[in-house]
Amino acid sequence: MYDVVIVGGGIVGVSLAYRLAEEGAGRVLLLEKGYLGGGSTFRCAGGIRASFTSREHIVLMKRSIELWGELREKLGVKYERSGYLWLISRERDVERFKEYSRVHNSFGVETRFVDEDFVKRVAPYVDTSSMVAALYDPLAGKASPFDAVYKQFLAARSLGVEFAVGREVDSVRVERGEARGVVVGNELIPARSVVVAAGAESVFLLRRSGVELPLAPVPHHAALTEEFGRLFDPLIIDVETGAYAVQTFHGHVLMGVEVEEEPFARPVVKLEFLEKVVSTWSKWLTWLPGANILRYWVGYYEVTPDHHPILGPVDGVENLYVATGFSGHGFMMAPVVAEELAEWIKSGKPKSEEAARLTLARFKEGRLIKELAVIG
Amino acid sequence: MKAYVCMCERVTVEDVEKAIEMGFTDLESLKRFLRVGMGPCQGRYCVPILLSILSRRLGVPPEKLGYVSVRPPVEPAPASLFLKVRKDV
Ligand SMILES: Cc1cc2nc3c(=O)[nH]c(=O)nc-3n(C[C@H](O)[C@H](O)[C@H](O)COP(=O)(O)OP(=O)(O)OC[C@H]3O[C@@H](n4cnc5c(N)ncnc54)[C@H](O)[C@@H]3O)c2cc1C
Repeated sequence: MYDVVIVGGGIVGVSLAYRLAEEGAGRVLLLEKGYLGGGSTFRCAGGIRASFTSREHIVLMKRSIELWGELREKLGVKYERSGYLWLISRERDVERFKEYSRVHNSFGVETRFVDEDFVKRVAPYVDTSSMVAALYDPLAGKASPFDAVYKQFLAARSLGVEFAVGREVDSVRVERGEARGVVVGNELIPARSVVVAAGAESVFLLRRSGVELPLAPVPHHAALTEEFGRLFDPLIIDVETGAYAVQTFHGHVLMGVEVEEEPFARPVVKLEFLEKVVSTWSKWLTWLPGANILRYWVGYYEVTPDHHPILGPVDGVENLYVATGFSGHGFMMAPVVAEELAEWIKSGKPKSEEAARLTLARFKEGRLIKELAVIG
Repeated sequence: MKAYVCMCERVTVEDVEKAIEMGFTDLESLKRFLRVGMGPCQGRYCVPILLSILSRRLGVPPEKLGYVSVRPPVEPAPASLFLKVRKDV
């Protein structure tokens, strides 16, 4: 009998496994059907920020950022507070970002407008000739998805967590309103608590277990250039289109921009994306047309109706927990999600009231949460 | 002397064997843990070598080990190429 079984070996499942192990939460098993990180996590940009507009996002992400710092210290995870920089090229966007900044500041997230000299210092290879203003977030930053998954995996394993990689969970066994474990093939793996952290696929897994999630996988695209020396430190965002670009620890530039996609669409590559991402970023990165594109891939955002995650216990099914629906922000949130869930499993309550408001029940009760800034 | 598996990322046979011992025994994880095949050659030269080392180590024929996901544009392509895409098709 396991104390906790985790379904899904993305950043959320692996972070939780490590956290539970550190807290001595007993016998823990993580099941991953493909390979660790192979869902959305290894397709993500690795950006981390607390500069959101909802109280829930800001408070939880601020805590997550503290925990990212601890991960760097304890495990040597590649993580840097190198900032986010919103590049504004149209006068009409300035007021909107002033308002966002006021909200950030009121929660102690010190975003501020910066001048051209500042931009040139933190981003020497960004062309500022079309810039009318720029908002900088010094608390934000980036981490390496590979490093974050592998270092936490190795640490969790050395603390006794069992990992079953290449094993797909068919369903969660629910009897008399209580989760009893997970079903893999013909086998029941019994557990006191089950956590579903299966990313975009959580919706299908839980449906097979009798639980409906308001969750839609939506394809998002990203392309990577060859590697360079230092180009720009912060993750940069083109406010006009919502496109983002970040230089990875290895030196590549990873870029994303939205192209039209339907919920539940198959993730397929589109020439249209490459055209859009290169033309959008050529405005700020004037050297980009001469650089090489090395790779291009598509992954899922696991999107909820209010763009906030679904966290914690499932109403009507004892001992079943979910952690998904991050709507494009699951990498940055994973450390605090692990902390909150570990507490929830141990004591029946999360650490913060903000986490408590993110349960599945909010959809039934009509308590949706507003977030305005859904990018990078 | 060092025997390289992946020239782009400077990964040696020794690195691969160590990673397998650490428990990275599928191609996708080995690739990402070591970065074999993530450089400009896109895995053309190194992934088949990686595959054969893994196959020998596990005693499993290479065709049973699958292959890593291959991502476009397959070869490094100048970004300017994509500015020439016709949008009305
Ligand atoms: C292009 C792109 C850029 C992004 N950029 C950022 C960013 O900058 N910052 C940020 O915070 N977020 C970003 N995201 C979002 C982020 O990637 C996700 O929110 C996050 O990775 C979710 O992690 P997860 O562990 O919940 O899910 P996943 O990483 O998807 O992991 C779920 C795992 O569960 C496994 N699984 C599924 N079903 C089963 C089953 N039945 N049995 C066993 N295993 C199963 C899957 O194989 C998968 O490995 C980005 C996403 C994309 C696509």
